[in-house]
Amino acid sequence: MSRLLDAGLERLTAILFRMGEIAEETVKLSISSYLMGVDVCDKVRFLSETLVSMNVDAEDKAFELIAKYQPVASDLRIIKSYIKIAHDLERYGRYAWDVTFIQKRLAQSEKCEDPSKIIEKMSRKVTDMVHTSIEALRSHDAELAKSLAVTENKVDELYFRYLDLSAEAPVPTKCLITNVLAVRYLERMADHATYMGESIVYIATGEKVVLR
Amino acid sequence: MTDDGATKIETKNLSVSFGKVHAIKDISLKMPRNHVTAIIGPSGCGKSTFIKALNRMNELVSDVKTEGEVLIDGKNIYDESCDVISLRKRVGMIFQKPNPFPKSVYDNVAYGPNIHEFYEKKELNKIVEENLRKAFLWDEVSDRLNASALALSGGQQQRLCIARALAVEPEVILMDEPCSALDPVATAKIEELIRVLRNDYSVVIVTHNMQQAARVSDYTAFLYLGKLIEYGSTNDIFENPKSELTEKYLTGKFG
Repeated sequence: MSRLLDAGLERLTAILFRMGEIAEETVKLSISSYLMGVDVCDKVRFLSETLVSMNVDAEDKAFELIAKYQPVASDLRIIKSYIKIAHDLERYGRYAWDVTFIQKRLAQSEKCEDPSKIIEKMSRKVTDMVHTSIEALRSHDAELAKSLAVTENKVDELYFRYLDLSAEAPVPTKCLITNVLAVRYLERMADHATYMGESIVYIATGEKVVLR
Repeated sequence: MTDDGATKIETKNLSVSFGKVHAIKDISLKMPRNHVTAIIGPSGCGKSTFIKALNRMNELVSDVKTEGEVLIDGKNIYDESCDVISLRKRVGMIFQKPNPFPKSVYDNVAYGPNIHEFYEKKELNKIVEENLRKAFLWDEVSDRLNASALALSGGQQQRLCIARALAVEPEVILMDEPCSALDPVATAKIEELIRVLRNDYSVVIVTHNMQQAARVSDYTAFLYLGKLIEYGSTNDIFENPKSELTEKYLTGKFG
């Protein structure tokens, strides 16, 4: 016999999984368009706002389940973590929007060259991290979640390398500032991927780890 | 749990059987002083038998056999030298159903002190007031101390029983599902009282209400089929139980 709580948990999980799909789509669209110099700001903004509204739904559902069923043990760990993960997914969307917004606002949606190719490398790694975090969410796979720590370190290295290079530029241009902000947003997305990883490890094992 | 002198009650390989029925099987557990320890588990798991072994209440049932030790402050209460009357004075008990004597509110609280010692009326008045206050009942009954205890509400009767237990100055208070016959408001009052009582007493509570265990206790022991499955801090047990059986019971997947 299934528990009354199970139907609620299924609904909450469905919201999270759908958020995961939208978040991944949003991040991919934003990053690839940035690299090509294509304006997708309005579309990404719409997707980001969808994630904001779904985060509210997830939070409402989670608190409803806590109020109605006073969950404990693995149920409690899932609900507590899903509240945090819904926020992380919302942030993916927000940073994706920030990337497209700054490109539109400062660089008039032009492609900003990066001879160092660091942004391209970071983009690939961050896209992978977002994908991995969502896969780990679907499978509650603690090992997969822990693997995010390694990639996050590499993203950080690239981020600081790009900042150092930018600091040496003789004249700050609009494109340089746009790129600096874009790598900052990418670095924040990577952080949220590791936060998600930490939550997934906690769900699966009860262990509170720091993956950064 | 490590023993740093903080243990009030310790059971060592405690087993209890009634005839051929083994109700408790080889339980070793340390319960700290000035804390609340909750015993949880499905019906028939041995919770009540376990708690009743802590002040030898099981002996009121015929055909009972108790093996192992129950140490209170390091002394085995099953030693022949142990005086059961003074043991039960030190280890008071509150039952599932409030069971005040069919006497006045005042007499219920005064009864215990009176049979142990002679008190002047003035001293007795003080004891009655003090313990009714400790049980958070004084404000509700101070103007009807001579009324029958049976006229009180269920929750008030249970707090009166707590006042009665406190009046003989126990060190340990055992509670066997103390709120199961009470409404939510009366339950909340008893739960608040339990949290205050731990400042002066060591409390062991049996409850089938898991949320109650989570709210009032510092440590929780999960019993299943007479065995101790898991014991630890209440936060750990309710957030991240180590045993799959505990996890299943807490999340309502069996029991």
